[in-house]
Amino acid sequence: MAWLSRPLTLVGLVILAHGCYSAYEHTLLASTSVQHPASPAAAALPLDIYIETIVATFLICLGLVLGTGAPEPIQWHTWAGKIEREADKRSSLAGNADKEALGNPYNALEARSGFINIHKLHGDFVKYTQQLSK
Amino acid sequence: MPPLLLRPHASLSHAEALQVAQQAPEFLRKNPASYSASPLFSLFSPPENSKTWTIYENLLLACLRTGDYTTAHQCLERLVIRFGGNDERIQALKGLVKEAEATDNSELEKVLKEYEAILANDNTNVPISKRRIALLRAMGRTAEASEALVQFLDFATTDAEAWIELSDLYLSQGLYAQAIYAQEEALVIAPNAWNLHARLGEMLFMAAESGSDGNPQAYLAESLKRFCRSIELCDDYLRGYYGLKRVTDKLLDKDLRQKKPSDSDEVTLPETSTIEQLNLAATKKLGDIVRKYDAKDPLWQGYDSGEVAAARACLSESSQTVVR
Repeated sequence: MAWLSRPLTLVGLVILAHGCYSAYEHTLLASTSVQHPASPAAAALPLDIYIETIVATFLICLGLVLGTGAPEPIQWHTWAGKIEREADKRSSLAGNADKEALGNPYNALEARSGFINIHKLHGDFVKYTQQLSK
Repeated sequence: MPPLLLRPHASLSHAEALQVAQQAPEFLRKNPASYSASPLFSLFSPPENSKTWTIYENLLLACLRTGDYTTAHQCLERLVIRFGGNDERIQALKGLVKEAEATDNSELEKVLKEYEAILANDNTNVPISKRRIALLRAMGRTAEASEALVQFLDFATTDAEAWIELSDLYLSQGLYAQAIYAQEEALVIAPNAWNLHARLGEMLFMAAESGSDGNPQAYLAESLKRFCRSIELCDDYLRGYYGLKRVTDKLLDKDLRQKKPSDSDEVTLPETSTIEQLNLAATKKLGDIVRKYDAKDPLWQGYDSGEVAAARACLSESSQTVVR
């Protein structure tokens, strides 16, 4: 349905513009007309302009709504499942760092960066590189 | 999974740590040494965002891990320029660099003395307290470390990280009951953390396996509950389903061996049919995950390859027994 979004919005905008123009023209005509000097019945807009405006607004709204992307999950387990399942394809130095999801936020609790044992990590890393070079 | 640079450093593998450390010089070159508050400068330099300093910290840790001390010092320098040398977190990072550069025990003792000096001035300095405990543990003084950690938790009762560290410390000594208690405290603070639920389930399972104290049936029943809760909190959670499969296998196996109902009345195991259904569901889900991961389904690539391999091994094992 996404392909329908732009044409619908465009058509809606054109119809809305047309409705506005008609309303303007009508009031202009009614105020300058000599035969019916500003009687309330003549000054009122005809029904079709009302209908046109409402339909146009509805079409624009529909087009915009259809054009939005898939919504983000709002249920906890769906959201969590999405985080676990999907790999992050964005590069690590991407500039849009503020927007991206950060994976399971509770992983930090299990990693315990505050209690990191840097000596052991370094020792293990040295062993790992030695294994690689063998 | 988030990009490597933003993941908590301790959860990275060696290869990933190396990759991060290799990115450090480039990151240092791309970002200015200091950020100015003046609006004129901000026009010409890249913006400072909330992740910048997390990345610096991770780079620092990665460089220390790979032994690239010059780059580590550059990272630390920038952190000091930004936050000042007296910031608690920066103090802890400085101490960490000293720890990493220490070559023998006497130098580590010196770092420990420094920590104690800082704590004598301000004994509520959380990052330094944590560093001191970690250093004690690293030096093999486990008893002192757990004592210090318990004292630390007296004033920082809502620090989930510390509770988990305590739980890990107890677990490393085989004190399952205490470890489970500490992990439960962490869960009270973060009740929605699905990985902590799974971790507790694993601990309970280990306790049941070791069979040192308490009733293994009770442990298994509790473990089953914990794994179920982790799956309830997170769809398609590989770790949770793996644990669920192992526990239900164990329970069903037990049922075959000892027909009599569980020894004590307090233990309320679910019906055997329920356990069987859970086992089936877990097997099915694990099969799905492994298949989709192997098929390179783009929406299923976030799993750890080691975990998937373990699930595959578990599945093939259970299918063999079924064939027999």
